[in-house]
Amino acid sequence: MCNKLKGKHHEKPKLYYLLISKLISSGLRPIIGIVLALIISAVMILASGVSPIVAYVALLQGAVGSIASFANTCVRTSPLLLAGLGVAIGFKAGMLNVGPEGQIYAGAAAATAIGLIPFSMPSWVHVIICIFAGFLGGVVWALIPAYLRAYREVSEVVITLMLNYIGIYFVSWLVHEPKLLFEKGAAYPQSPLIMKSARLPILIKSTNLHVGILLGVFLAVLLYILLKHTSFGFKIRIVGENPMAARYAGINVKKYLFTVMLISGGFGGLAGAVEILGLKLRLFDLFVSGVGYEAIAVALLANCNFIGTIFSAFFFGALKAGATKMQIVSGIETSMALVVLSLALIFVIAMGFKNGKLFSIKKKANK
Amino acid sequence: MDNGVNKVALYMEGITKRFGQVLANNNITLELKKGEIHGLLGENGAGKTTLMNILYGLHQADEGNIFVNGEKCEITSPRIALKLGIGMVHQHFMLIDNLTVIENIILGLPSTHPPMLDVREAISHFKSLTDEFQICLDPFLPVWQLSVGDKQWLEILKLLFRNVNILILDEPTAVLTPSEVKQLFQNIRVIVKKGGSVIFISHKLDEVLDITERITVLRDGQVVGTVSTSNTTASNLAEMMVGRPIVMKRKKRPTYKEKREVLVVKDLCCNNDRGLPALVNVDLIVHSGEIIGVAGVDGNGQKELAECIAGLRKLTKGLIKINGMIVERVIKDQLLLGYIPDDRNTVGLVENFSVAENLVLKSFDSPPISKFGILQWAIIYEKSNSLIEDFDIKTSSPMTPVRQLSGGNQQKVVVARELSGKPAVVVASQPTRGLDLGAVEVVHDILLEERNRGAAVVFISTELEEIMTLSDYIIVMYKGRIMGMLEAETADVTLIGELMLGHNKRGDV
Repeated sequence: MCNKLKGKHHEKPKLYYLLISKLISSGLRPIIGIVLALIISAVMILASGVSPIVAYVALLQGAVGSIASFANTCVRTSPLLLAGLGVAIGFKAGMLNVGPEGQIYAGAAAATAIGLIPFSMPSWVHVIICIFAGFLGGVVWALIPAYLRAYREVSEVVITLMLNYIGIYFVSWLVHEPKLLFEKGAAYPQSPLIMKSARLPILIKSTNLHVGILLGVFLAVLLYILLKHTSFGFKIRIVGENPMAARYAGINVKKYLFTVMLISGGFGGLAGAVEILGLKLRLFDLFVSGVGYEAIAVALLANCNFIGTIFSAFFFGALKAGATKMQIVSGIETSMALVVLSLALIFVIAMGFKNGKLFSIKKKANK
Repeated sequence: MDNGVNKVALYMEGITKRFGQVLANNNITLELKKGEIHGLLGENGAGKTTLMNILYGLHQADEGNIFVNGEKCEITSPRIALKLGIGMVHQHFMLIDNLTVIENIILGLPSTHPPMLDVREAISHFKSLTDEFQICLDPFLPVWQLSVGDKQWLEILKLLFRNVNILILDEPTAVLTPSEVKQLFQNIRVIVKKGGSVIFISHKLDEVLDITERITVLRDGQVVGTVSTSNTTASNLAEMMVGRPIVMKRKKRPTYKEKREVLVVKDLCCNNDRGLPALVNVDLIVHSGEIIGVAGVDGNGQKELAECIAGLRKLTKGLIKINGMIVERVIKDQLLLGYIPDDRNTVGLVENFSVAENLVLKSFDSPPISKFGILQWAIIYEKSNSLIEDFDIKTSSPMTPVRQLSGGNQQKVVVARELSGKPAVVVASQPTRGLDLGAVEVVHDILLEERNRGAAVVFISTELEEIMTLSDYIIVMYKGRIMGMLEAETADVTLIGELMLGHNKRGDV
């Protein structure tokens, strides 16, 4: 083996070539997974007596067919993207945060609480404080699993999962009489509307499209740079890949696990805050259902690549947005969107995450 | 062999196997007589494992025939191999720790009274086997409670239980202590006395010379030759293996003039991972320009000593100083310490990281590799390219993941990273373990260069031969204590051997 490589190592790496081939190899798997998922789903649609072409065309129209539907897709993308980034960064440090749902509720509650306070400063200050509060809400929600994982070696999966229920019912308790965020006389348990100054700017008039998606894309790029180009990010990657080597390289592994878990939770909180400040404008019982879980799938679909998460979040945002139109046109339930996502994820995982090899069957050659 | 029967148990004829473009086995012919212990020798990648995998049915040969007891056979799976009486003990044990000895033995065999499991009959068969070989193994003991030597013996028993008479042992001594090796060899001799035949794969020359009757040497997928053990020598075999004579005598070295104390270990005590004392009152002074070889049977505190010096392990007593500075935490300063850990794959390297990333695994946090927390990739690649050249690391680019490199080149990555800063102290813990002879030579030369440069080198190895080859002084560790220090030039192997076993009559500490 060595002889074959001999003499080659003097060449400078062809950066562009490597970059492109990396992009293809990392992007190909999710795309194949999605295509396979769409094919299988087409069979199911066919089985219920509808032409898949009709259904998919309606889906596409509903997702990106007009400015309004495109805006709708983007609005649905932003919480998925933000929470998905949280899952992805946790994964980079070797942790699986399955608690975005709870962190979204915690972040939303914190953002709402600040958003309800009358504020005499400029609007953008109020918005930033609210977003920050949402982030902190998520951080607080991740404190327990972060501590247990880093310092007590307890699996973060179970703890974050259980905290989801606590988060959901904590918000439910908050918006019921006579608690803190309860609106008197409302038919549904909910908070009053947040202050005008706390609302996110709208990008396109007469749509719901708020700046949340831009925040998500900005943070995705920021995280990418953080992990690739800073020593802080390098440490996170070493900790995630090989904690033993990290310790040997003088890194305080526990501290990094703790910190990354908090950041991961913070992103879930951001997702909740953006959903309230940009779209829902008030907190209510079960204001998002399942977005946190969908965000896990979104991140995994992108192999926890930050840039890839933008695309997979947008893909699923489009599926969700288009599914409504599909239901109106063809009668196929909107839940088909979740089926497609789940199938795509199963295919991607089944094709194997490791080593970037498609359909790899490991055969050990003579060593 | 005085029974006069020299019948052939196994004949592999003209075996050729390709993996893609790589010719792993090229027209190999191997003959195993009944009742023979046949050594199979070769460097990593010479084709030993492929050949045995073909024999065991894990791979199929592209060309060639296999004859078992004179009959031509198609071995398409390990199941068929077992049926033909061919069994293999792998380097890594295939045992289930939570099951008992007897449960592991009957695993996969049909029950005599289905659907119930009948252990009684199996036990009586097992007992007769253990009586035959005079070993003491409780059939009801869970496997995790067994020593490494017993586990290996259990693997062999598993095969004997299935009436295997052609045993393949793939580097069986790699995980054993010297006394366990002795025991294993005794047992192997009993097996062949009872008519079994054994193929013994190893790259430890002395063992092969000790146990085998004939030796077949492979190189680059081809048979270099088959020799009878009594007519050959270690240097002869080494030459066959690598194709050139290997110098096994002491390396020449200039005397280093400015001797000063660089590494001082004083009254050091520490615990092992299980919280039991691993080092007891260890005192050691290493000067600039000398190599201290740490000899001893594996697990007598060598690893803990290395970790303490590197600041990775908490001391319970005593202190360690490098250049007068007390070691309190993990040393990242590359001017002070270069540490080559014994387990490069789990501790020394991040396998999914690129060569370049692994080369800066310790220095990424300070200029010039990173400025204000931003990694300087241009500088990282520049530095990597020069290290790749200096240390002759064979990789297609600095961006190649380290897991794609061969073991020797992976070790070179660790060595390059640890020694590029020209550290005052070099701690090398089993730096040649698992490397082929060529790579071992390279590591030896690099360590000697470090010594000549003026570094204080602590060289830990369980291979006495390389300790003798490389060291200026030798210390021997036994149960966490230093049993004695000897000058390597005049050291007596038998004395070292005694010290390794805990006898301290003549040791001059």
